[in-house]
Amino acid sequence: MTASVTFQGLNHSFGTFQALSDINLQIEAGEYVTLLGPSGCGKTTLLSILGGFLEPSEGQVLIGGQDMTRVPPVKRPTTTVFQDYALFPHMSLRDNVGFGLRMGGMGRAARHARAEEMLDLVGLKDAAGKRPHALSGGQRQRVALARALAVEPDVLLLDEPLGALDLKLRRLMQDELKSIQQQIGTTFVHVTHDQEEAMAIADRIVVMSKGRIEDHGPPDRIYRHPATLFTADFMGETNHIPGTRRAEAVETPLGLLPAGGPPGAVSVCLRPEDIRAGEPEGLSLGPAKITSAAFFGTYCRVHLAPRRAPDLTLTAYLPVGRNWAKGEEIEIAAAPEDFRIFEQEPG
Amino acid sequence: MSARGDQLRGWGFVSPALIWTLCFFVLPFVVMGAMSLATLEGRTLVWDLSLANYAKLFEKAYLWRAILVSLEITLTVTAISILLAYPLAWIIAFQVPPRWQRLALLLAILPFWTSYVVRSYAWLLVLAREGVVNNALIGLGLIAEPITLANTRFATVTGFVHFFVMLLTLTIYANLIQLSPNYRRAAMDLGANAVQTFRHVILPLTLPGIVTGAFLTFVLCIGDYVTPQILGGNTELSVPQVIMVQLGRRADFPLASALAIVLMSIVALAYLMSARWLRIDRL
Amino acid sequence: MMRFLPWLYLLAAFTFIYLPVGVLVLFAFQEGSLPVPPFNGPSLRWFGEMLADDDLMAALRNSVLVAFGSSAVAVTLGFFAAYGLARHVLPGSAVIRGLLIAPLTVSYLIVGLGLLIVLTRTGLGLSLWTAAIGHVVINLPLAFAIIYASMGAQQQNAERAARDLGAREAQVIALVTVPMLRPAIAAAFFLSVTLSWDEFIIAFLLTRFDVTLPVEIWSLLRSGLSPQLNAIGSFVFLISVAVVLLLEVTLFRKPRP
Repeated sequence: MTASVTFQGLNHSFGTFQALSDINLQIEAGEYVTLLGPSGCGKTTLLSILGGFLEPSEGQVLIGGQDMTRVPPVKRPTTTVFQDYALFPHMSLRDNVGFGLRMGGMGRAARHARAEEMLDLVGLKDAAGKRPHALSGGQRQRVALARALAVEPDVLLLDEPLGALDLKLRRLMQDELKSIQQQIGTTFVHVTHDQEEAMAIADRIVVMSKGRIEDHGPPDRIYRHPATLFTADFMGETNHIPGTRRAEAVETPLGLLPAGGPPGAVSVCLRPEDIRAGEPEGLSLGPAKITSAAFFGTYCRVHLAPRRAPDLTLTAYLPVGRNWAKGEEIEIAAAPEDFRIFEQEPG
Repeated sequence: MSARGDQLRGWGFVSPALIWTLCFFVLPFVVMGAMSLATLEGRTLVWDLSLANYAKLFEKAYLWRAILVSLEITLTVTAISILLAYPLAWIIAFQVPPRWQRLALLLAILPFWTSYVVRSYAWLLVLAREGVVNNALIGLGLIAEPITLANTRFATVTGFVHFFVMLLTLTIYANLIQLSPNYRRAAMDLGANAVQTFRHVILPLTLPGIVTGAFLTFVLCIGDYVTPQILGGNTELSVPQVIMVQLGRRADFPLASALAIVLMSIVALAYLMSARWLRIDRL
Repeated sequence: MMRFLPWLYLLAAFTFIYLPVGVLVLFAFQEGSLPVPPFNGPSLRWFGEMLADDDLMAALRNSVLVAFGSSAVAVTLGFFAAYGLARHVLPGSAVIRGLLIAPLTVSYLIVGLGLLIVLTRTGLGLSLWTAAIGHVVINLPLAFAIIYASMGAQQQNAERAARDLGAREAQVIALVTVPMLRPAIAAAFFLSVTLSWDEFIIAFLLTRFDVTLPVEIWSLLRSGLSPQLNAIGSFVFLISVAVVLLLEVTLFRKPRP
């Protein structure tokens, strides 16, 4: 069971606060989409509107091509995995998972069989008779997932479902969510503020900020070629180099970059892992002095003061093969296509 | 600091309160228990360790009737109070907009702070023969002659219900509001209608709050002397009223003590029956 | 119709809740000598009579004394007991806690009766002192429970830090524990004052010549309905409401989210 989702010209405000502005988005049936952004960006509001818990001030929500804007949650083909799970503490796991089926009028035996099947899917078959309080955080999360999936929704909504789990468990659950989604083919819409989580599970990431959609696309595209400066910043650590665009090149303190576009002030972004050292291959950025270095296991994170612009601090992730010592001067370079150039936003 | 020294200091802090409780609560209680086994012959106390006072409870009609009256009134009051308070707490928690909730709750329990004696007196005014209720009913043409409302069991129950509706609204509201709103959302999301959401999710989740409130109501109601004395008249007496009669007219401390022990046993029984849901630590 | 049902219920509930209070306050301003309809007035006559009644004013003073005195003792004893139990490892601490809380589960009438028996048996007379002792018995468990519940790990760490920096136990209590627990201590104190101020049956059983306000009101009640009772009742109610509102806006106001 799966369905597409369409948001058309959605606006929502709480009093004078504009929570969502002009949201237009198409989610395909069977897609795993994450809504990503900092807190207060409107991602949870958008999810609540999709789930039917909020009615938008303006615009339409279509699920499987049908207008659902004013349909209450009960009648929508969506279910939600809540951030606090909202498991019913007075019911066994079996009864929790079977609740939706019971409301739908399914008989006891069939319901229990189905609930156990769902618990099996999330690896908790043996715990069917337990109460939620006897479970760990990760297990509760699985029960919430099984409960929401038991009624075979077309679209599953997940509101920061992994927020309460520790890092290791979160990584594990990400893999599991992804594999369950591929197994059943239901459309998943998953809200998170963790960009690594978004990249790990999503077919497509929708980046939001201040009630607007900043960018959307597959994780690698969003990371490598972000559409906006905000997205570039939010998706991971990045160096900002101020520049001025003239005719066919951008003038920066580190040298000229070949790039066309309208003239004016720009911001040049360069990911730390794209800075190469030692063997100056690509566009040379000149010599730079290491001002600090820290070992991170798979790479060395160093701060660099380029000789061409000593006031600018660059961050680079350098390979761990050799020892990068503080005070050492190295040659640095980067491939021309790794620079991202954004118009300076006014203000 | 050594463990022994630490313990000694601990006792130093605890002992004043402990000694107070032992002297002025436990000791009187033990004396009262002993007193219930004594008998009164004429005006002199005889410490004969007899169960005569307890036997009287079965022999004398006015004594066992008092126990029945107390139980009937208390159970009626508890049931009516819950039935009236639950919707009120519900409306304040889920219908009143959040910014007005605190005010609504404050208003709903403000008369709680009327002096305890004065509150019963005020109901006497309301229910009196010439009081506002009779006046209003005659004015509306519903009755021709004033009806007797004061000095009846109805008046006692009304006075009690008034008090306990406020108390229970507070405890049930507190219970409702601490439930995550996601429980309701989850139930609705999974296809439950309003009635099903209430029956299968909200009611079971608020049961501990209801039982705690009911127990509190039971304890406070069955031990109260003032309300039945002012509002109930003297056609039927509750246990506390009978205790006060023993103390006043006859100075029959032994019988009064026996009745007090019985009253406590009833409360203990109620506790055992509701202990499964009670969370005393949350009182 | 269904939309208005909750509001209708709210209105009915508030009418029921405010009916006695409204009648009480309204007929306190009655001109005549019966606090029932028809209403003549408004008049301040009965408030004047209330202030002129020496017994009533003496009872008011007694009530204030007993309420504040017994609450101060209850909160002090309750605080030290809570501190001792929360910060020191004592054998049988669960039993001690149970014992300290026990009076909460017993009717005031029974607490009063027990004390009355002991006091008359031992030949100690009845006075405001004995009423205050009774009020400490019923308020101590509440004060203890409230303060004990608020003694969390956060305070304990602050206390350890203070001790680490050289404070003696008395200094720790005075400079760290008490200031940090101020909200709980104040709540316990005012709750205790309110309960004692309003308490009837223990005061009735344990006082003789000097009585507290509820007991005095009780004896006035025996002579029947009178607007003077309305006046004193309204007066007491307004004081309680003022205290509750004051606490609401100062002590218990939660920062708005």
